[in-house]
Amino acid sequence: MSAVQPATEYYRDRVVTALVMFSVIWAVLGMAAGVYVAAELVWPTLDFGQQWLSFGRMRTLHTNGVIFGFGVSALMGTAFYSVQRTSHVPLFAPKLAWFCCFAWQIAVLLGGISLLAGWNAAKEYAELEWPFDIAITVVWVCFAIVFFGTIAKRRIKPIYVSNWFYGALIIVIAMLHIVNSLALPVTISKSYSIFSGAQDAIVQWWYGHNAVGFLLTGGFLGMMYYFLPKHADRPIWSYRLSIVAFWAFVYSYIWAGPHHLHYNAIPEWVQSLAVVMSLILLAPSWATMINGIMTVSGAWQKLRTDPALKFIVLSLAFYGLATFEGPMMAIKSVNVVSHFTDWTIGHVHSGALGWNAMITFGTFYFLMPRLMGTGLYSIRLANIHFWLALAGTMLYVLAMWGAGVSQGLLWLSLDEMGELSFSFKDIMASMPPYYLLRFVAGLVFLAGALLMTFNLYMTIKGRRTLRVQPPEVRSHQV
Amino acid sequence: MKSEISSWLIFRLLMRPASVFEELSDTRPDPHVVFFRYLVWLAVIPPAFAYIGASTFGWRLGAAQPLYLDGGDLIVISIMYFFVLIFGFVSTAIVSQWMASTYGARYSLGIHFALVTIVAAPLAVGSAIHLYPHVFINVIVLIPVLMWSMFLLYRGLPVVLKISPERGMLMASALIGYLLVAAVSLLGLTVALWGGGIGPSIGV
Repeated sequence: MSAVQPATEYYRDRVVTALVMFSVIWAVLGMAAGVYVAAELVWPTLDFGQQWLSFGRMRTLHTNGVIFGFGVSALMGTAFYSVQRTSHVPLFAPKLAWFCCFAWQIAVLLGGISLLAGWNAAKEYAELEWPFDIAITVVWVCFAIVFFGTIAKRRIKPIYVSNWFYGALIIVIAMLHIVNSLALPVTISKSYSIFSGAQDAIVQWWYGHNAVGFLLTGGFLGMMYYFLPKHADRPIWSYRLSIVAFWAFVYSYIWAGPHHLHYNAIPEWVQSLAVVMSLILLAPSWATMINGIMTVSGAWQKLRTDPALKFIVLSLAFYGLATFEGPMMAIKSVNVVSHFTDWTIGHVHSGALGWNAMITFGTFYFLMPRLMGTGLYSIRLANIHFWLALAGTMLYVLAMWGAGVSQGLLWLSLDEMGELSFSFKDIMASMPPYYLLRFVAGLVFLAGALLMTFNLYMTIKGRRTLRVQPPEVRSHQV
Repeated sequence: MKSEISSWLIFRLLMRPASVFEELSDTRPDPHVVFFRYLVWLAVIPPAFAYIGASTFGWRLGAAQPLYLDGGDLIVISIMYFFVLIFGFVSTAIVSQWMASTYGARYSLGIHFALVTIVAAPLAVGSAIHLYPHVFINVIVLIPVLMWSMFLLYRGLPVVLKISPERGMLMASALIGYLLVAAVSLLGLTVALWGGGIGPSIGV
C-alpha cells in the first residue's frame, strides 16, 4: 500500500452534509408530530374525525419520524464522517453511500405515509409493513457495505472505539430487524408475524429493547466517542475503559428485553434473567458516562467559544439518569407500579430528548460549520436553544413522573372489599393537566429545534461542502 | 478566611443570592455548623408539611376520593422522608467534594455543605405546598422552584467554589446528573416500599 494517497483523493463529505440536513428536517417533522399527539391527549377532537390524524396513527408517525428519520439519518451521517477520519481514507463505494442516503429518506417518507394510511404490523417501533421491512433491509446492507468497506481499506491499523459502536449498531440492528420482521404477507399492506403468542412478545421486545440499546444507545455512543474528543480537543480519558465498556455493553444489553414483559405469560426465569442483566448493564453504561465526563472536564476553556459542548455535557447527565432509571424500572417491585403508566414515557423521553437529541444537536453545531469551512451563524441562538432544550426536557420528565406515579398508585388501589377502587376511565379523566404540561414541554423543545434549523440553515446558506483530503499516513500502515 | 456565616443565610439566599455567594466565597464554614444550623432544619420542612397536609386533607391524586394513609404509616413515611433527605444532602456534599479535585474547586467539606444549602433552600421552602397534597398542584409549584434551585446552582457554584464559570458549568452539570439519579432513586424506593406494604394499600 502506498504511503501517500493520491492528490485527488478527498473525503466524501457531501453525503454527510445531505444526511445531516435530512436529519434536521426529520427532527422538526417528527417532534412536531409528537407535539400534535400530545395536544390530542388534551384536546381529543383535534383529530377532526379524520382517521389519518387519529392518535394511533400520528403517534407511530412521531416515533418512526424521530427514531428512523432524525436518529438514523444522524447516525448514518456521523458514521460516514467519522469512519473516514478514523481510517484516513475516503468512503468505500461512495455511490452506494448516496444510495443509502436517498433510499433511506424515501423509505421513511413513504413508510410514514403508510402509517397514516393505517398500514401497521402491530409491533412497537417496528410498525412498518413488509414492503418497507424489505426496503430497510436492503438499505441497511448497503450501509454495512459502505461502513465496513471503509474500515477494510483503512490506513490506520487500530479500529477506533467509535467504529466498534457504529459497527455493533449496523450488525445488531440488521439481526434484530430481520428476525423480528419475519412475517407472512397476505396483501401489500398486511402481513402476519411468523411468531405467535408469548413467543412473538419475547421476540418483539428482544427487538424493541435492543433497538433502544444498539441504536439509541450504542449508535449514539459511537457519535459521542468520536465527536466528544474532537470537540474537547483531547483524547478520550480512558481508552481501555471505553473498550471494556463496549464489550460489557454488547454482552449484557442483548439479554434485557424481557423486562418489558414482567408479570406476563413468559417464563419466570426469563423475567429474572432480564432483571439481573438490566442491573449489570448499569456498570458499562456508567463507565461510558464517566469516561465522557472526565474527557470533557479538562476542556472547560472550550465552553467560552463553543456552545455545542454544553449540549454534550448535559446529554451525559441525562444519559446517566436514563441508564440508571432503566435498570431500576426493570426491578419487578418497581415495575409493578411503573409499568403501563406515563412514567415509562417520561423515562423514554429523558433518554430521547436529554441524551439522543441533545448529543445530536451538539454534534450538528460542531459538524456543520466544519463541513462548510465557516463559523456557526449565531452562538447566541445556540445558547438559547440549549436552555430551551434543557427546560423542555425537565418539564417533560417531571410532568410524566407526576402523572406516572399517580396512575400506578391509582390503578392498583383497592377498596375495603379488595376490589379495584378506580376505573381506567376515571383515572385517565384526571390526567389532562399533566398532559397539558407535557404539551408545553414539547412545544418548548420543538421551539429550540426550530432555532437550530434556522441557525444551521444560515450557516450553510450559499456555501458548499469543503473538500478535505485525508492526512498523509507514514507511521501506521496496515 | 473567616469561618462564621452571618445570620439569616436562608432568607438572604432567597432574596439576594449574589451577596450570599460572595460572602461564602470568602468563608471557610465548619461543616457541622452548616449541617446543624441550616441543613437539618431544611430537611424537616418537606416531611413536616407533608405529614400535616396528608393527615388533614389526604393526598389528591386526581381520583374522586382523597387518599388517607394510616396514622402510623404516615409517621413512619414522614420520618423516612426526613432521613432520606438528610442522606441526600450529605451524599451530595460528599460527591461535590469528590468532584472538586477534578474541576479545581475548593475542597473543604463545609463549603460543599454550604453549596447544598444553596440548592436545597428554595426546594425546601417551596415544599410548603405539601400542605395542600394535590399531586398536580405540587408538580406545578415545584417545577419553577426546581428551576430556581438549578439557576442558583449554575450561578452560585463557580463563585462559591472559586472556579471559572466554564468549569463551574461542567461541575454543576455533573452534580445535576447526580441529583437527577438521586431523585429517581427516591421515586423507585418509594414505589418499592408501597409494594412491601408500607404506604397506601395496593393490590400487589
